[in-house]
Amino acid sequence: MSLLEIRGISKIYGNVNALRNVDMTVEQGEWLAVMGPSGSGKTTMMNIIGCMDKPSEGTVLLDGIDISTESARNLTSIRRDKIGLIFQQFHLINYLTALENVMVAQYYHSMPDEKEALQALDRVGLLARAKHLPSQLSGGEQQRVCIARALINYPMLVLADEPTGNLDEANEEIVLDIFRKLHEEGITIVVVTHDPEVAQEAQRTVILEHGRIARIVVNESGKGQEGE
Amino acid sequence: MTKRSMYFKMIASSLIRRRSRMFVALLAVAVGATILSGLVTIYYDIPRQMGQEFRSYGANFILVPASGEEALSETSAEAAVSLIPSDEVVGIAPYRYETVKINEQPFMAAGTELEEARKASPYWFVSGDWPETDGSVLIGQEVADTIRLLPGNTFTMTGTDGNGESFSREFRVSGVVQTGGTEEAFIFMSMADFVAAMGESGAYDVVECSISAPQTELEDIAASVTERVPDVAPRLVTRVTRSEGTVLTKLQALVFLVTAVVLLLTMICVATTMMAVVAERRKEIGLKKALGAPNRNIILEFMGEGLLLGCLGGVLGVILGFGFAQLIGVNVFSRSVHFQAALAPVTLIASVLITGLACMIPVRSATDVDPAIVLRGE
Amino acid sequence: MFWRLVNGALFRQKGKMLMIAFTIALGASLATAMLNVMLDVGDKVNRELKTYGANINVIPKEASLLDDLYGVDEGSGVSDRYLQESEMGRLKTIFWAFNIVDFAPYLDAKIRMPESEDAIRLVGTWFANRLELPTGESLDTGIRNMKSWWTVDGEWLSDGDTDAAMVGRLLADRAGLSVGDRLSVSLGDKERNLTVKGIFDAGSEEDERVYVPLPIAQEMAGRAGLVTGVEVSALTTPDNELSRRAAQNPNSLSVKDWETWYCTAYVSAICYQIEEVLTDSVAKPIRQVAESEGAILEKTQLLMLLITVLSLAGAALGISNLVTASVMERSREIGLLKALGANNAPISWLVLTEILITGVIGGVIGYFVGLGFAQIIGQTVFDAAINIKPMVIPLVAILVFLVTLAGSIPSIRLLLSLRPAEVLHGR
Repeated sequence: MSLLEIRGISKIYGNVNALRNVDMTVEQGEWLAVMGPSGSGKTTMMNIIGCMDKPSEGTVLLDGIDISTESARNLTSIRRDKIGLIFQQFHLINYLTALENVMVAQYYHSMPDEKEALQALDRVGLLARAKHLPSQLSGGEQQRVCIARALINYPMLVLADEPTGNLDEANEEIVLDIFRKLHEEGITIVVVTHDPEVAQEAQRTVILEHGRIARIVVNESGKGQEGE
Repeated sequence: MTKRSMYFKMIASSLIRRRSRMFVALLAVAVGATILSGLVTIYYDIPRQMGQEFRSYGANFILVPASGEEALSETSAEAAVSLIPSDEVVGIAPYRYETVKINEQPFMAAGTELEEARKASPYWFVSGDWPETDGSVLIGQEVADTIRLLPGNTFTMTGTDGNGESFSREFRVSGVVQTGGTEEAFIFMSMADFVAAMGESGAYDVVECSISAPQTELEDIAASVTERVPDVAPRLVTRVTRSEGTVLTKLQALVFLVTAVVLLLTMICVATTMMAVVAERRKEIGLKKALGAPNRNIILEFMGEGLLLGCLGGVLGVILGFGFAQLIGVNVFSRSVHFQAALAPVTLIASVLITGLACMIPVRSATDVDPAIVLRGE
Repeated sequence: MFWRLVNGALFRQKGKMLMIAFTIALGASLATAMLNVMLDVGDKVNRELKTYGANINVIPKEASLLDDLYGVDEGSGVSDRYLQESEMGRLKTIFWAFNIVDFAPYLDAKIRMPESEDAIRLVGTWFANRLELPTGESLDTGIRNMKSWWTVDGEWLSDGDTDAAMVGRLLADRAGLSVGDRLSVSLGDKERNLTVKGIFDAGSEEDERVYVPLPIAQEMAGRAGLVTGVEVSALTTPDNELSRRAAQNPNSLSVKDWETWYCTAYVSAICYQIEEVLTDSVAKPIRQVAESEGAILEKTQLLMLLITVLSLAGAALGISNLVTASVMERSREIGLLKALGANNAPISWLVLTEILITGVIGGVIGYFVGLGFAQIIGQTVFDAAINIKPMVIPLVAILVFLVTLAGSIPSIRLLLSLRPAEVLHGR
């Protein structure tokens, strides 16, 4: 069984058809990129996969659970248990230190554990900056804190929305490097991006246009290739 | 690290690391709490403070001989006076009256404790001085006009003493009394002078008391005097007691309404400020939701912050509010106000409740929205 | 473009601006209500203090204040100096006529009751007499309003009663009279039968007296059209140095001081004016009432002034605080404007203009709401409308202006110190 199975979903906002009858699957351990120009439905797709929105039509099976019909309350707990989110804007709580920001995710999930949170920061190479506030970190560092936070609860699926959108090239490379490592560890990754270079890294790229899947590209050069 | 300590760590960080915003919120709560505790203290203290002012109307309670008695014996007068709570007494002046003659014209002489009379009747307007030595007296304006006496002049008073023997004594006028009432036709002297001239009688004609107490309490005192000292008839000067009640009630109602209006407005002000401060954090709420925080947790965190702010603001308010009331008390009445101990918890609870409620509104509206919209929005 | 931005902020950020306008409206209404009440409280409390009764006693020149209670006056029971009842209407023609709230002329006479040797004081007076004034107006005045502290069993007399009397509680108890009983009184060789219509408790020596309508007393005493004195209840201004000097001798004042004194409602000025209109009269302030009124009025006004000032300070702090909070919220927008190359000055002007426009709207609404609050207070506490003072309008306007300005400045400074990159990127 696929980890994520999307069957014939559509999303209509008022009279805008953001997604039209999309089918897609993501396998366990796969690294998938969703690409497309602005207004192609990327964000809607990401919101639906991230349990932050529901499709108007169709079903979404995440680990065998139909998340298209769950209540908002259940969606919150599913998101907490199964998904790690990474944002373009980082979205760190600005009055908490890097370490505390990671611990917040543990706190909502189960139990805050400082040692584990430090390990997570170590994994993204930020152990030395654990006690710094977001305002004292560079953009790349903030994004790495965000990744550490997304990973802390061992999610089934890491969902990243333009993770490199606000970063310079050097930082982009660092972040992508972490993603590669994660992929090697067998973590399922879905990256939403409009950057072909980022998309290239994935095993498969789903290209959206006007709310439909225009084509699916299997990346020859993608690192993920090796995993297949 | 336990869940609870993480909870407190988050709240503490939010309060400490977002200093400027939290200062704004704390200021709002503290101002509200100050006004609440200050105005309510004033409201409760008004009868006591204003009651003192109303004593300038003079005696509100008098003791006269019970019907059938000729005069008020000193012992029963003392017994009756002892029934009045001493901390409420402003002045108690006993009076003895006798007819005397000056230049063969009849006048009334009154013997009293001048110090007490001065306290009991603060409205007497004396040109010249109050008598300080033996042999000096106060005369009423009318007496002064009739026999043309000025402060400093001396005159001879003649009359008959208690034993039926006539006397003739020299007195010095130390001051002239103006009241616009019958007092202007009297000659007032100290009890000692009066006794020296008229002889000891061991009795008074009337005792005038100025007591700082409301009408109901005066009625209670009157009842206990009637019961325990049967040869004394206590009477309330209803003109003073009843009117004092009327005016005080109005004044208290005025301050009550003003307090209510000011409080209503201040509380709304506190609430809107809290709302503005919390509304700013919609993003944070969205993020927490995205991280999988149940609404309950998010609300609990904001409530925790609100509670802490409310408590801090409340404590500040209790202290500052007392200062505020004290400022008014000292400036208006030249007297300090009583600290209303019961008001402290009320202020605390009110500020916590209002802060909590004010936080709830924006937090609720933010938690009801999909996190995606909050995070993407703007 | 500037106005377009202002417009955008005002209309597209409706929610936030509404909240600020709402709070400013609240503050302005508070200021309006408190200032109006404060400015009028003296007048209102003064009226309440009229429950203490007369504060001026008018008697004929050279008459004695002391009645014959203590047996000083050995005369026939009626002294020989009087005022004219017909002149009473003139009291409402003096400069401060409007401040004369009530007055009641009285005629004292000494009567005897059968089976008793003691002389009793009979007082003829007005109860609620309708008086046609020289100005063409009419007025109901008498002791019914002035002796508000009396408790009456039975009923008050009316001025037309020809054979009715009110008897003091002590006298009634002593003579065994109750409401409805007949009472026969004599003065010299005149005798009269009266019905006891009411028994009153006054808590003073009045409890030993008999009150009748003025004509009855005049007829019995044979003093038609004459009165022994008048009790006047007037609204007065608390005494100060000037009025005390004037009370000693008005002629000692300079012309300017004299005019100030004459045109201020000091009790001494009103007395002086009464003496001018009533032939051969002396008007004396009853110090017990006049002085205490002054003291209480002053305290009340000071109390209200302080409460007003402090609550306004509190409200001002609260509102400027809210303005600060709302401007702080806009850090992102201002960061963007700065990133687009806006200098500090235009940004400050933008924020200030928005806030001030909001403030003006809020202030105008608040003013009218505040008038409502003031009237609620007036009606509830004093059963009378609060006078609306135009001077409150500029005061409120200045307050609103200062408060919004004070609230904007710290937050604008804070926003200007922001670096656009920080605000736009990663908070």
